[in-house]
Amino acid sequence: MTDTTTGLTGTGGSDPSVPAVELVGITKRFGGIVACDQVDLTLHRGRIHGILGENGAGKSTLMKVLIGLVLPDVGSVRIDGWPRTIHDPLAAASLGIAMVHQHFSLVDQLSVWENVALGEEGRLKSAGVRDRVVAISQQYGLEIDPDARVGELTAGLRQRVEIIKCLRRDPHILVFDEPTSVLTPEESEQLFGTLREVVAAEGRAVVLVSHKLDEVLHATDEITIMRQGRVVDHRPTHEADARSLARAMVGREVSLRSERAAFGLAEVEEADGESQESDVGSLADIDEATDVDAEDRRPAETTKPDEPVMRIEGASVRGRGGARLLDDISLDLRAGEIVGVAGVEGNGQRTLGDLLSSLVPLDAGRVVVNHEAVPTGSPGAMAKAGVAVIPEDRHDSGVVLDMTVAENLLMVDPHRVARNGVMDKARTAETAQQMIEEFDIGCSGPDAPLWSLSGGNQQRVVLARELAAEPEVLVAAQPTRGLDVGAIEYMTDRLRQTAIDGVAVLLISSELEEILELADRIVVMSRGRIVGELSHAEANLETLGMLMGGSSG
Amino acid sequence: MTRGARLTEWVALYALSVAVALALASVIVEATGGDWWPVVEALVDGSIMAPGRWGGTLGIAAPLLLVALGTVISSKAGLINIGQEGQLLIGAAVAVYFSFRIGGPGPLNVVVLLLFGALGGAAWASISGLLRYWRGVPEVLSTLLLVFVALQAVGYGLKWQWLLLADEASRGNRNLVSEQLAKDNRIPRPDIFGNEFPITVYVAVALALAVAYVLARTVWGFRLRMLGHNPRAAQRAGVSSTVYGASALAIGGAFAGLAGAAMFAGGGFSFGNYRLVPGFSDNIGWTGLLVALLARERALPAVVAAFVFAGLRNGAGFVNSTGVQSRITDVVQGLLVLALLVPPAVVFLRDRRRARAAATERV
Repeated sequence: MTDTTTGLTGTGGSDPSVPAVELVGITKRFGGIVACDQVDLTLHRGRIHGILGENGAGKSTLMKVLIGLVLPDVGSVRIDGWPRTIHDPLAAASLGIAMVHQHFSLVDQLSVWENVALGEEGRLKSAGVRDRVVAISQQYGLEIDPDARVGELTAGLRQRVEIIKCLRRDPHILVFDEPTSVLTPEESEQLFGTLREVVAAEGRAVVLVSHKLDEVLHATDEITIMRQGRVVDHRPTHEADARSLARAMVGREVSLRSERAAFGLAEVEEADGESQESDVGSLADIDEATDVDAEDRRPAETTKPDEPVMRIEGASVRGRGGARLLDDISLDLRAGEIVGVAGVEGNGQRTLGDLLSSLVPLDAGRVVVNHEAVPTGSPGAMAKAGVAVIPEDRHDSGVVLDMTVAENLLMVDPHRVARNGVMDKARTAETAQQMIEEFDIGCSGPDAPLWSLSGGNQQRVVLARELAAEPEVLVAAQPTRGLDVGAIEYMTDRLRQTAIDGVAVLLISSELEEILELADRIVVMSRGRIVGELSHAEANLETLGMLMGGSSG
Repeated sequence: MTRGARLTEWVALYALSVAVALALASVIVEATGGDWWPVVEALVDGSIMAPGRWGGTLGIAAPLLLVALGTVISSKAGLINIGQEGQLLIGAAVAVYFSFRIGGPGPLNVVVLLLFGALGGAAWASISGLLRYWRGVPEVLSTLLLVFVALQAVGYGLKWQWLLLADEASRGNRNLVSEQLAKDNRIPRPDIFGNEFPITVYVAVALALAVAYVLARTVWGFRLRMLGHNPRAAQRAGVSSTVYGASALAIGGAFAGLAGAAMFAGGGFSFGNYRLVPGFSDNIGWTGLLVALLARERALPAVVAAFVFAGLRNGAGFVNSTGVQSRITDVVQGLLVLALLVPPAVVFLRDRRRARAAATERV
């Protein structure tokens, strides 16, 4: 963690001692919520500035101010010492500010160079753009084929395209928003190498927005920590360690494993004596607190029932145009165990979730629950067979936003509160109220429309409903995505408890730490196939990462 | 927002919207050399004030309401059925066909006739259901296009005596008319305070209550709404879009068909007079669709909306007698319809924007 204030070959030729960006006293309110509260931020050329904070801490809003998507209520913006008002993203671009968004804005059907040229005006010279793409990719070691179709690229390569798109405009200030959420560990590593180079060689100012501690510790020169819309701490990275950062971020001591997982602090040491300290040395002191909750060792390890509750046998699904979304997948699930499905997003996990939600029929293979083959793609068949699902995108198939909390809680089994096909009002309200209390769902009552709930509470509605059906199998797809620390903790505890209660849990997640923490057994998916299976003991970040990148196939 | 505030807002929106429409209408009427006040008076007189008029308005409101109820059901399932005009006409034709062949005593024949009307409309709408769930043809296209097929089919049926055409003795010198329904086979039209209207009015209002209840309280209605709001969540929860969607379309058609049969047997329309004739449907299907839109696809508000549209339609007859050109009165009527549709649209757009904002804020 050395300080890298080197190589100030400033692109704009301006005085290097003047900060590239100064945000002073930025305040932004949305309705009654203060997203940013008198936030100051200074970015210097040639430095990578990490912005750390939980979901909802105000990081995104602050960045939106910088790139002109949000106008602050109060506060000023200075670029290279000059006061500026950034009304829209075009203005930001003309000031040399560019952002690589968490979600890609690429056109799958177009080639790499066409995507890079998107938004260009006037006549398009394909040769020129191609050369430029090649030049940039060589300069920064972002190797890519300019003629490749974007839809066929892996997430890591797509992100390269996004980065090249940004660099082509030669920005002085580059913002990365949660850039590693779709990358394998190896790809993240590469990305940070590139960033380092961009900064060192050309004196650009880089912002890295993240909620992962190790990544910020690893890749930045200084760190600003935000909590509830305020800057709570700011320090050079070499003076920071994981524990104090976590404390600053959450506002209290962090000891629970689930929380550690949320910040990307993996318990890599658990893998039989192998030393994985390659990345972040400062993790060591946190790991002292690792085995706090050793008492909830999973029962599956001691009493391993042999009969699988659910078998997926040779399951294959083809998408439009014959793409193999699922390719000959076989998987057994036993009662009381948590099986993790790891993999970079977009490698068939969504289809697997859809399959177990009765949303997709199989082209080959079958799904057997309790010795009985379940018809795939047939409405409600999986739910009836005892497969509960917390879907990856709850708005897609998990909840109905325009219905009430009570209605959402009773979606799968309305007959529970019905007599002769008529739903009993009193029983509906009563049942819903019970579930609201049991799962501590924050809402104004059973009749509140679902859209009025926060994401974490919507997720609790899904969880409550699915567990109320007393399932044999619980499929949890990205169950903690977009939730804050408290909600993550709740969700992980619930999943663990569900397994202890004898339900087979299938945890589909792209957060490796979550999987390493919870799963007894881990399978890795890549391009619709299962490319490896590891026991909890065998698994660590490195082996998983290699499998995820497809290096075994 | 509280209930009271919401109500005030609605009233204000309607008042503003109607006022703007009336102002525009007055400008148009005056500019073309007419007087606008008599037009307004005629509209009010013709719809409710003049003796015997509100009975006529109710008579028109009944089929409008029936059509709208069917529309409410299919749209709750997330389907866009815009073929009510055709479904209504086919329903009427099927009712006519079976009514004269089955015969039977009066009241029984009326029931049979209404039943076959509903069946006919359901069958016609089910063609769209079949195309939608078997071949993936969007129902918005198929229902619309089947309107024109229905018009032609009924026109064809009225050319042949073995289908719908009356025998020569009873049709006189007219072509393309069906037999006239015998007096004792008609829907009763009791006289109340000098206003007479068919008892289908009661039936329609009772059905509106039933539809509201079924949608709000039964498991079937719950699952239908689920399908309409989020088909994927519904599919996971065991709602078959094929079964529920196709039923919703069929029921929608049945209501339109029932409306057609009730128009035939209930009388009160300017032409037809207990006979099936070309153009029999007389835009009741289209207007019923508007009624459902105005009621924002809810059954109980549809009762009020149906009455308002029926009043406009019935009053238009009086406006024609003010000496203002009939084209101009058509424009006036169109403006008023538009004025009624604007507030729901405004509120809908605003609610949706708020919901989206709330959703994105909470991601």
